[in-house]
Amino acid sequence: MKKLLFYTLILAITVLSVIVSIAYLTPSKVIPKYSDDKLRELALSKGLKPTPDTYKKLLELVDDASNPMSASKIALGRELFFDVNLSKNKETSCATCHSFDKDLKNKGVMSKMISSKEEQINNCVACHLKDQSGTDRFTFSQGDNHEPHPYLLNTQTVLNTAFAKHFTWSGDVNSIKEQSKNSFLAHYKMNITEEELQLRVAKSNKYRAMFDDTFEDGITFENINKAIEIYVKTLVTRGAYDRFLDGNNSAISSDAKRGLANFISFGCKGCHSDIALGGQSIQRFPLRDFAQVYDLKPNFELFPEIKRFDSEFPFENSGGFLGKDKSHLFRVPILRNVTKTSPYFHNGAVPKIREAVNVMAKHQLGRHLTLEQIDEIVAFLRTLEGNIVEYDVSESK
Amino acid sequence: MRTIIKILVFVMFVSGVLQWSVIDLSWEDFRVIQVAHILSSIAILFLLLPFIYRHIRRYYFIKKVNSVNGWVVFVLFILLIASGFYLLLVGNRGGDMFGELSFNVHLYGSFLLIILFIAHAFFSEKKQITPLVLLALINPQLSHSQEKLSNIEVNSTRSYHSEDWTSSTKCKSCHSEIFKQWSNSNHKHMVGSNPYYMVMETLAGEVEGEGFRKWCMSCHNPSALLNGHEKTTHDMEGNFLRDEIFEKDGQGLIADFKEQDNFRLEEGVSCVTCHRITDASSKGNASYTLTLERKKYAFEDSKAPLGHWFSEKLINSNPDEHKKSYMDPLYKESRYCASCHDEFHPKNGIAIVSTFKEWEKSEFNNPKDKSKHKTCIDCHMTNLKDGKLSPLRGTSTDGGVIKEDVKVHYFSGSNHFLAGLKDKKNEEQTIELLKSSAKLDVDVKDNTLSVGVTNVGAGHHLPTGVADFRELWLDVSVKDRDDKLVFSSGKLKEDGNIEDDSRVFQKVFGDENGEPVGLLFWRYKILLKDTRIPSKQRRVESFALSKSVKYPLSVEVKLNFRIYPQWTTDAVKKAFPTLPNPPIIELMKVEKEFK
Repeated sequence: MKKLLFYTLILAITVLSVIVSIAYLTPSKVIPKYSDDKLRELALSKGLKPTPDTYKKLLELVDDASNPMSASKIALGRELFFDVNLSKNKETSCATCHSFDKDLKNKGVMSKMISSKEEQINNCVACHLKDQSGTDRFTFSQGDNHEPHPYLLNTQTVLNTAFAKHFTWSGDVNSIKEQSKNSFLAHYKMNITEEELQLRVAKSNKYRAMFDDTFEDGITFENINKAIEIYVKTLVTRGAYDRFLDGNNSAISSDAKRGLANFISFGCKGCHSDIALGGQSIQRFPLRDFAQVYDLKPNFELFPEIKRFDSEFPFENSGGFLGKDKSHLFRVPILRNVTKTSPYFHNGAVPKIREAVNVMAKHQLGRHLTLEQIDEIVAFLRTLEGNIVEYDVSESK
Repeated sequence: MRTIIKILVFVMFVSGVLQWSVIDLSWEDFRVIQVAHILSSIAILFLLLPFIYRHIRRYYFIKKVNSVNGWVVFVLFILLIASGFYLLLVGNRGGDMFGELSFNVHLYGSFLLIILFIAHAFFSEKKQITPLVLLALINPQLSHSQEKLSNIEVNSTRSYHSEDWTSSTKCKSCHSEIFKQWSNSNHKHMVGSNPYYMVMETLAGEVEGEGFRKWCMSCHNPSALLNGHEKTTHDMEGNFLRDEIFEKDGQGLIADFKEQDNFRLEEGVSCVTCHRITDASSKGNASYTLTLERKKYAFEDSKAPLGHWFSEKLINSNPDEHKKSYMDPLYKESRYCASCHDEFHPKNGIAIVSTFKEWEKSEFNNPKDKSKHKTCIDCHMTNLKDGKLSPLRGTSTDGGVIKEDVKVHYFSGSNHFLAGLKDKKNEEQTIELLKSSAKLDVDVKDNTLSVGVTNVGAGHHLPTGVADFRELWLDVSVKDRDDKLVFSSGKLKEDGNIEDDSRVFQKVFGDENGEPVGLLFWRYKILLKDTRIPSKQRRVESFALSKSVKYPLSVEVKLNFRIYPQWTTDAVKKAFPTLPNPPIIELMKVEKEFK
C-alpha cells in the first residue's frame, strides 16, 4: 500500500514534469523578421498582387473578348445593378444584399436621412454605406419579399470578383454573368422570369436607348447580365496593402507587416491567393478531423476547455449547408474588405474576425495561434480595407 | 512514507506562510503559490487521512501510547483543514465573522501546528526545505501574460486585446446588486444601445471626417478606441439591429459573454474602465490614465467554467489585492469625474460642457469645511429615498462587510429616460434627484407675473452637461375671475416642440455666423443664449399680463424638464424607429391665487 502510493506520487510528478518541460522546451516556429523590402518581395513572389490603380491596367487584367468592357456598358450595368424594378415585388435590387452606394462620392447619407421629411424604417445605409467598401453586417441574405436564403447563406462580396475564378459559396458558378442570371431567377433573390425582366427593362425609354447604344441585339436576358457583369468587374477596391505592395513602406503598420509575414508563413496565402486573396480555388473545410466533435484546447490550464461542436463545422451550422456536392467543399472566400463584413463563414455563425482567424488557423492549418499572432493577422486584414476605386473610364480605349 | 508526510506538511506550511502579507512576496509568485497551496492541500489531504488513521490506531489503540502533544496536533490539524475549506469555498469577504476567524485560525494555527509537529515528529530535528524545488517545477503559465500597458493616456495608439477588458459580466458573480444598478444606468448605455449617441457619432464622422469619432469615443467608448477600433458598433441579432433600448439588466452582455467569453470586446464604459483609471486631471476630454495591467489571481482569465469558478474562490479567500486593484482614493474626488464631464472642442479649445468648473466655483466645493464639501459622488452615487439623500446601508459584495454608505451605481443625473426604459428603480432615483434640485416662487405685481427659480440642490448649473440638449422650462397658465385662460406660456406645439417664446433655461450654441448649430454642437463658436441657473442662485422670469385682466387670478406654474428636445428625438427616430418620445417630468408645481 505504502509503496503503491509512493510510486504513484513519483510517477505523477515525473509525468507532470515531462509534460511541463516538453511544453517549455519545444521551440515555437520562428517567423523571421523581414525587412520591408524583403517582405514585399516575398509577398509578390508568392503571387500576392495589388489591385490596378488605373482603368487601363484593369482592362489588361480582366477584359474578356466574349464580353468586352466599354464605358456605355459600365453605365448601363450600374443602372441595372441599383434598379429595384427588376425584382418581382419591385423591392429588391442587386444592391440590397451587395450594399454600397450608387454615388461613390456620396458622403452625407446620415445628414440627408435625419433631415428628410419622410418616415424611414431603420435604414442601415445611413451609418454603413458612406464608406464605399461594401460594409454589411447581415447574417444571411434575404431577397424579394424578405424571403431568406434556403440555406441561410451569408452574402458574399461582389467587390473584386473581377479577379475570381469561381463564384458562390460552393464555387459551382464560373462567371459573374452566370451568377447574375441565377440571382434574377432564384425565388429567394430577385424572383423574376426572363420574359418579365425583359418587359420591364423594355418599358423604360432610358434603358431602351442605353441598350441600343451598347448592344447590337438590344434588350435580351443575356445582354442584361452581360452589362451587369461588366459593371461588377469595375468594382475593385484599393487599400493600404496595395500601396505597400506598390512600394510605400509606411502605408501599413509594423503589426500589419508581421501579420502579412504570418499570413504567408503559416500558409494562409496557399488558398487566399492572387489579387483578390481568394476566389481562386475550391477547398475542403474543415480540413482537420480532430476538430469535428470536441475541441480540446491545450491551454496549459488545469481545466482544459472542452466544447461540444456541431458535428459538421466548428460552429453551429444553421441552414444546413454542406458545401459543394455536400462534401464540405467551398470556394475560398475573398479576403479584401473582410474586416468590414462580419459575421463570418457561410452562415454567418462566427461574429468576430479574431475568432474567425482562430477557427481558420485551428481547422485549416492545425495551428493554435497566440493572441498576438491573431492580432497581427487582423491588423494585416485591416490593411485590405479599401473603398471602390473610381476609375476614369474615359481615359483609354 | 513518513518522510513524505513530513515533507508535505512543511511544503504546506511554507507555501502558506509565503502568502502572508508580512512576507510581501512578488505578485507573480504569490498568485502561483496561492494555487499550489490550495491544490496540493487537497491532494495531501487524501494522503494524510489514511496515514493519520493508521498512526492513531497503531500508537493509541495498539501500543497504548497517549501523547497529549499528538492529540493537540490532531485537533489543530482538523481546525486548519476546516478553516482552509471555509476560506476556499466561502471566503474571507468581510461580511461574516467566520471568514475573519478562519483566516486567523488558519494563519496563526499553522505556526502552532508546525512547532508542535516538530516536537511530535522530530523532537529536535531541523526543518527540511528541499521540496520547494517540486513546487517550482509545477509552475505552469497560468493565464496569458499581460502586455506592458502601464500609464497609457487615451490618445495613445497602442491597442489592447479584448481579453484585457475583463467583461463586466465577470464582476456580476460577486457584485450582483452593483452590476444590476450599472447595467441599467447611463454609464452602461453610452454606446451601441444609446440611439442618440449612435446617430451623433455617425454624424460627427460624416461631417467632420471619420477620425473625429475618436473625440466622442475617448469618453464614450474607451475600450473600442484603445483596441484600435475606428468606430462604435452596435449589436446585431441575425440580420437585424438588436433592440437594446428596452433590454434589462445587461442580458445581451451576459449572453454574449456566455457564448464568446471575452473574445468579443465589451464596448462602452465597463467596470474595469472606471475601476482601472489610475490617474485623472480635471482638464476634461478624457484626461485620465487607464492602466489595465493589474494583479490577477490565478485562473482569472481562464475560459473554462471550472477555472473561472476557482479564480473566484481564490479572490474570496484573500481579497486584499482584488480590492486594491479596483479601488483608489482618487475615485472620491471630483476631478476623477471631471476627466470626462468637462468637455471642450478638440481643435479650438472652446468649452462645451463645464460641469466641473461650475462645481469648482460653487459652495459645494469647500475642502476647508468637510461638512459642507460635497463631491460628485456625494449626490450622484448616493442612494435617494423620499426625495432625500439617504445613504444605503448594505454590502457592495455579496456576503461582504456591511457599509454605512454603499455607493450606488445608478449614476443618477438628469437622463432618467433611457435608464427608465429598462428599469423603473433607476428612473426613480434620477427623478428624485432632479426634483430636489430646484424651487419655485410666484408673485404678481402691477400686472406682471414674476416667477423665481432657485437652484437649491445642484452643485452646478441647472441644467448642466449638454445643456444645449436639455429642456428645463416654465409652463405657465393664468386664469381670471371667470376661469378663462388669459395668459399661457411654455406649452407644447402640435409637433411636440416647445412654443417659440417660452422661458427655457438652457444654453444655445451658434456657429461662427451666429446661426444655431442644431445637432452639430461641435460647431459652436458664439454663445447665443445662456439662461442656465448657477448653483444656489435665483433667476426671475417676468411675464406681462394684459391690463384688463379681472382679478382674482389663479396662477399655475410648472417647472418642466425634458431630457431631449422633440426635434432631436425626431431626428434620431429616423435611424431608430422603435425609440419612444421622452416624457416631460414635472419637477415642481405652484398654484396660487392673487387678488
